[in-house]
Amino acid sequence: MSAASGSFSVPLPDFVRTTTVRGALVVAGAFALYMVVLFAVIYWRTGHYFMARSDAVVAQQAKVFSAGNMREQLLAVDQLLKQDPRMVQHAGLFAPDGRRIAGNLERMPPELTLDAPARDAVIPVGPSGAERQHVRAVAHSVPGGGVLVIGRNVDETVQISAIVGETLAVGLLPALCLSIAAGMLLSIRAQRRVAQVNQAVQRIVAGDLRQRLPMRGVDDPFDRLAAVVNGMLEQIEALMHDIAGVGDDIAHDLRTPLTRARVVLQRGRENARTVEELQAVIDRAMLALDQSLAIITALLRITEIEHARRLEGFGRVLLADVVREVGDMYEPIAEEKKVALEIEAATAPTVHGDRDLLFEAVANLVDNAIKFTPEGGKVQLALVARDGESVVRVADTGPGISEEEREMVLRRFYRSDRSRNTRGVGLGLSLVAAILKLHGFRLSLTSGPGCVAEIVCPPES
Amino acid sequence: MPKILLIEDDRETADEIVAEFAARGFDVSWAATGIEGLDQARSSNPDAMIVDRLLPGMDGLTIVEALRKDQISTPVLVLSALAAVDDRVRGLRAGGDDYLTKPFDLVELIARVEALLRRPANTRETTLRVGPLELDLIERTARRGDRPIDLLPREFRLLHYMMQRQDQVLTRTMLLEEVWNYKVASQANLVDVHMSRLRHKVDEANETPMIHNVRGVGFILRAPA
Repeated sequence: MSAASGSFSVPLPDFVRTTTVRGALVVAGAFALYMVVLFAVIYWRTGHYFMARSDAVVAQQAKVFSAGNMREQLLAVDQLLKQDPRMVQHAGLFAPDGRRIAGNLERMPPELTLDAPARDAVIPVGPSGAERQHVRAVAHSVPGGGVLVIGRNVDETVQISAIVGETLAVGLLPALCLSIAAGMLLSIRAQRRVAQVNQAVQRIVAGDLRQRLPMRGVDDPFDRLAAVVNGMLEQIEALMHDIAGVGDDIAHDLRTPLTRARVVLQRGRENARTVEELQAVIDRAMLALDQSLAIITALLRITEIEHARRLEGFGRVLLADVVREVGDMYEPIAEEKKVALEIEAATAPTVHGDRDLLFEAVANLVDNAIKFTPEGGKVQLALVARDGESVVRVADTGPGISEEEREMVLRRFYRSDRSRNTRGVGLGLSLVAAILKLHGFRLSLTSGPGCVAEIVCPPES
Repeated sequence: MPKILLIEDDRETADEIVAEFAARGFDVSWAATGIEGLDQARSSNPDAMIVDRLLPGMDGLTIVEALRKDQISTPVLVLSALAAVDDRVRGLRAGGDDYLTKPFDLVELIARVEALLRRPANTRETTLRVGPLELDLIERTARRGDRPIDLLPREFRLLHYMMQRQDQVLTRTMLLEEVWNYKVASQANLVDVHMSRLRHKVDEANETPMIHNVRGVGFILRAPA
């Protein structure tokens, strides 16, 4: 795969290249950035807060102390330094010539400006003065020309800020790793499911229609999608099954007359002695061929109707006319067979449909009924209204139709065993079913004493 | 001798059709492509044409449309392997006069071409006569000589159609399509039953038969010789 591409590159593991992994990395990056910003704000705000507080404290102290006389100032400085166990306070009272009068400051820090707001200063501390401390300090003039310097150690602030920074550093890396790991994990799980689905689909493509997509039994989008696809596969499998069945039926029903034709021709070729004999043979062979052709024609017709290409022929159809015409057409046939054909059109509804097709459907039902009704029997063709629906009912006194036969009868080609010897190609009811489906009508088959076939036409909406 | 032009690309089918028509005294010419066929139709002025729908690189209907555009009204029978009823409608709409689905019976084809050649004159006559047979289209009555014939409406329709086409072989499919408007000719034995009814009424035992069965093909109405 990668070898085929011209440029050389270190191949990334498959999962790194997927969009889910890329998504996880982006999210982790954004998360890290957010954390950095958050801690930066905390760092900055904390530092600022402590600084401001120190500034306020030193300014206040300087202001209060410098208000009193020299004695009070000395006392206050003394007090301040004594009450400072943490050693964060610095103070110094300097004479106008810069000489130290009191306090723990050796000399006045050079950074300070007199009576200005608090600012940073570095002061030497300790016995040798070698150690230096960062302080926030103010220099305040006192009555009599002296200067009072108050300082406050801000190392603490710096430390707090440092802790915040360290916390960030310590926290950020694991969090980042965690989010990347979680992203990877989810991504790999998704990958694995896709791979499973892919495998199943490959097997389906290879022809195993019984395969289903794997499901975890949890209500996640993947499972829901799999359920939808599985439903679809179920339907396809059922359809394929039907088609396979039809294929077998076609093979059987076409082969029968074709075999007959072949046998007849073969025997005729060997045995016929006269032209008349030969003609008789050919006639029989042609009859068999015609039967095969009739099957093909009927099949094409069903396909045509099922694909609903005839909607353009739709219009208003008077059902009573159709019933009467079919009755008219079949009356002599019924008479010939000594079957009574009763026609009754009590209502005169119109339906939206294709007259020729509806005629064909009704004719097929009547044809069947007459075919299966023994001599002396009766076929009733009636148009009735029931529950607001128009019903074309064809009832006969034939052998009827059994429960399990009903579904089968609607399948293409099916002919119940007892009718195998009767003429016809066995596609009649499938054709009727296809026509009615196109119209949105229903076909119901029930067994009375004989068979009752009904075309139920819902009222036009 | 009626001149027929056959436009059909399958040589074997064409050979059979040509031979059959020639044997029956037609003057048949054959074109294997649409272009050739159209040229011949324009130059040789045939009495009827048989056009296959599926020609290499061309729909047979295009030929019919081209002819009609040139005001050439030669009757055309369209042949097609497409069984769909809609195709039939399309074929007739394009200017075809009849439509036959492959595979077909050669005698069916001949009967239909003959029907095209002898289309019933658009007479305004209200009474049809064939020999002693008389059909009053206004009164809707029929008689043979002096004998009135009592016909059911469907029998009247059938006889009417046959009298318009006397001496012409009418196939079962033609009758189903034209008399009963039944587009799918799967119930061919229906016609026989109806015909036998009509025949009983038209031809009584002592009379010379006028309705004849043409074996394996259909029926014909002839005046007694």
